[in-house]
Amino acid sequence: MSYVIGIYRRLISVQIRSQMQYRFPFLVDLVATGFITISGFVTLAFVMQRFGSIAGWKLGEVAFLYGMVETSFGLMDMIFSGFDPGNFGRQTRLGRFDQLLLRPVDITLQVLGSEFVIRRLGRIAQGVVILILALTMIHIHWTFVKVLYLPVVLSSLIAFFGGLNIIGATISFWTLESIEIVNIFTYGGTEMMSYPMQIYPHWLRDFFSYVLPAIFLNYYPSLYFLGKPDPLHFPTIAPFLAPVAGFGVLGIALAFWKFGIRHYQSTGT
Amino acid sequence: MRLFIELVKRSFQRQLTYRAATFAGLATNFFFGMLRVAVMIALYGARSDVNGLSLRGAITFTGLTQALIGFLSLFGWYDMMNSIYTGAVACDLLKPMGYFTFWLAQDFGRALAQFVLRGFIIMAAYAVLIGIVFPQGIEQWAAVIVTMLLAWLISFAWRFLVNLSGFWTPDARAIGRFGFVLLYFVTGFLMPLRFFPDWFVRLCYYTPFPHMVNTVVEVYLGVLKGPQLVWALVKQASWAVLLVLVCQLTLRAGVRRLVIQGG
Repeated sequence: MSYVIGIYRRLISVQIRSQMQYRFPFLVDLVATGFITISGFVTLAFVMQRFGSIAGWKLGEVAFLYGMVETSFGLMDMIFSGFDPGNFGRQTRLGRFDQLLLRPVDITLQVLGSEFVIRRLGRIAQGVVILILALTMIHIHWTFVKVLYLPVVLSSLIAFFGGLNIIGATISFWTLESIEIVNIFTYGGTEMMSYPMQIYPHWLRDFFSYVLPAIFLNYYPSLYFLGKPDPLHFPTIAPFLAPVAGFGVLGIALAFWKFGIRHYQSTGT
Repeated sequence: MRLFIELVKRSFQRQLTYRAATFAGLATNFFFGMLRVAVMIALYGARSDVNGLSLRGAITFTGLTQALIGFLSLFGWYDMMNSIYTGAVACDLLKPMGYFTFWLAQDFGRALAQFVLRGFIIMAAYAVLIGIVFPQGIEQWAAVIVTMLLAWLISFAWRFLVNLSGFWTPDARAIGRFGFVLLYFVTGFLMPLRFFPDWFVRLCYYTPFPHMVNTVVEVYLGVLKGPQLVWALVKQASWAVLLVLVCQLTLRAGVRRLVIQGG
């Protein structure tokens, strides 16, 4: 285990050092990625000022949803960018994946360590700021369980988004190009989970509850943290399913990934 | 002129060959559109009109903006920057045609193809599945076409300038990312600018950005009428002319600076 961690640390530190060589682009990127999140939040704040609330959710409450998603998606995007379908598809097409297969180190670990995008810190930081802003605007009745559960929800979200990335990367073994359709689930998922999910049409909500269990990762835990009633009448255990849903998706994704590697055929490049 | 038309045609045809990518883009644009429709419906709740925009108008806004993504390359365009870094720019500068016009022609072909393959289909799907408003009468349709062409010209000039930074620095991608990220917010892409506070909208209109999206939306929805409409088009046209001039001047300075990389 310590051997694995040692290798991972080395791979990541190479990444960080090489990215720090270009300081100016790094700083501009940091600002740019953060700016997306901030402009999203300011837009939300402006619109909520005009409308008051959305489906009974006030600005602070929606900001809580948004901050949770941004923070965890940013963290995932930094840690799991080796599996980013667009990037991974390109690497596979160029035959770089074959090089990794020849090395005597676990392949999943190598792909995980092949990319670590530190400019995502911009997005993560803004996500945290939004989360803090949200917490100042709303009054959460903190209990011991809630304090313990918050980091669990965040790590479940990271696992969930990471799982989606791994599934996207695995599909590109067969398609060999980045399949933008996967964006519907990753970027579409984050967009969707940033709003109270009761607002979506029935079929869409059902898909993101029973096929892809996104609803249990942010919406239900947030109902619990904010002490809001459930308009959809799910069983009372729903808010606590986040780790099952998040790590479940990650587990299935990893199994699919292993299956993909066993059936992998090189492009011959 | 014949050369220009030929370039437009070639670029149009090139877009047609990326069928899988076009379909994926279409599906993604439409899916996001559905999410945005749900947000609009929830925001409006029992309201019928918010600052001059009806719910049906707001829903049409989401379709229209999703339809403009491909047409205006709203999420970023790095083709020219890439050609600078591969060294292809050396040949392009020698072509019997201005560098600006060369890319203008190609981008027009690209925009047309994106409009036909993505914009039009998204609007048609919206019209059938969700229901949208349409411009009334021949004058408004004409105004819509004019404002869309001007919006494209402004967006192209902006993208040209952003890409031109590649003449100065070997890593302009970061600048590009910032230049394009800015657009989500101040063009009125994320939400109609009418929903924002007045002081902020005034601030935005000191820049050319709202003329890329917000003006098109307001002309299409018929929010701007009569003299207001004419005035909006005049302002839009002025920004287009100004930006094209800036492009030419910057290009002239850039060519003197350019160091060809690779080859």
